[in-house]
Amino acid sequence: MKGTNKWIMSALIAILVLALAGCGSDNSSSGSGGDGEVIKFASDATYAPMEYMDKDTIKGFDIDFIAAVAEEAGIKYEVVNTGWDTMLESVKQGTEYKAGLSSVSITDDRKQTYDFSVPYFESTNMIMVKEGSDIKSALDLKDKKVAVQTATTADELMSGIMGVGNTDLKRFDSNAVAMMELDNGGADAVVADIAIVREYIKNNPKMKLVGITDKENFGSEYYGILYPKGSDLKAKLDPAIKKIIENGKYEEIYKKWFGEAPDLTNLKNAQ
Amino acid sequence: MDFRFNIVGDYLPLFLRGTLYTIGFSIASIIIGSLLGLAIGFGRMAKNPVARWPFVAYINFLRGTPLYVQILMVHFGVVPFFYGSTNALISGVVALSLNSAAYSAEIFRAGIQSIDPGQREAALSLGMTGRQTMRFVILPQAIKRMVPAFGNEFIVLVKDSSLLALIAAPEIMYWGNTMKGQYMRIWEPYLTAAVIYFVLTYLLNKLLAYIERRM
Repeated sequence: MKGTNKWIMSALIAILVLALAGCGSDNSSSGSGGDGEVIKFASDATYAPMEYMDKDTIKGFDIDFIAAVAEEAGIKYEVVNTGWDTMLESVKQGTEYKAGLSSVSITDDRKQTYDFSVPYFESTNMIMVKEGSDIKSALDLKDKKVAVQTATTADELMSGIMGVGNTDLKRFDSNAVAMMELDNGGADAVVADIAIVREYIKNNPKMKLVGITDKENFGSEYYGILYPKGSDLKAKLDPAIKKIIENGKYEEIYKKWFGEAPDLTNLKNAQ
Repeated sequence: MDFRFNIVGDYLPLFLRGTLYTIGFSIASIIIGSLLGLAIGFGRMAKNPVARWPFVAYINFLRGTPLYVQILMVHFGVVPFFYGSTNALISGVVALSLNSAAYSAEIFRAGIQSIDPGQREAALSLGMTGRQTMRFVILPQAIKRMVPAFGNEFIVLVKDSSLLALIAAPEIMYWGNTMKGQYMRIWEPYLTAAVIYFVLTYLLNKLLAYIERRM
């Protein structure tokens, strides 16, 4: 009797494994095929107003930007919200997702593992504090409690100022949680991308928050599209990116999301 | 696969410091959780349904909601209310202890109720009081039966403490996330963290097996 049970169990497990394997191959094959290949971009859509989920659709500056670029380059594409880790790993492999689009700042550490498009967005970090705080610049944060989102350039900059191992530098999974930490008194300041901080201050007027820029310690940084090493997509999309910045399409999208015209001098120089 | 051992080396001191925090969180929560669990377990066995109700509700709520949510509720709700501001170390111990207490309570209850009622009757007929019966007859037998279940609970707790990275408690997983952030690579940090957790739970397993043999 025992022997029979074992056989049935093995058969069931085998069927389950085969079924799962079937699902897997189904997913990866969809989208490919012939000229009209759909290029899939992975994104971590938790970064309003750059990319975020509005119910079940992905929206944001980056999303409109890539729509304009794709139109210019004549490619079919799709942006999928995969989360940060999946984006990193799947773009590195480059089989299902050919690129990552998620406000990824171009840094030397990252270039060791990935290729980047030409810069398409100029950003800088901003300090967010409560009204009446004595913090005026990034160096004032040295002996304060600071909350950042893990894996952002804010994390990197503050690690440089405060030390990687400093536990007063608190790294959270998302900016939303970092901002809650500030609200609950666990942090004296949040450091994040300027667009994110401005959006948050605008949406939470009751919390009496102030944004502080520090051009000296927080230089300009540039977002790029993330490609696997040696991707041929870069050659296709880079001219299109430059084109939409030249022809005013980029400015239009920028105004839509930020309400003001961009100063493109630095961005063009960086390209 | 290209695995960059040099960046693991760079982060090793931080991982070791994180390991100390993980051990600290685990030991504190195991002790507080067990004591709390014992009290809740007895409350759960009260004869009066009204007295029993809060304990049943506690166990159901803590076992029926994700620890992920409980950590956030404790960190951003409970701890700021009592302590004035958030504090990851306090939140970590409180959240894990409260969660562990719910599971421990059920282990205590199941262990005590697994002892044959005849044992209790026999002790009472020898003239022992209810309290003496519990302390000298029921509990010593029950605890022996509880050891494997507790071992399981402790091991789950050590691994679950990785969720505290959510509130920036500087334990193993937190440094894994930090390392991931710096290099934008996921295998090096996650596999390193996995190896450390494995070593911790393996040693704990050995310790528990030793205790089980000795009892």
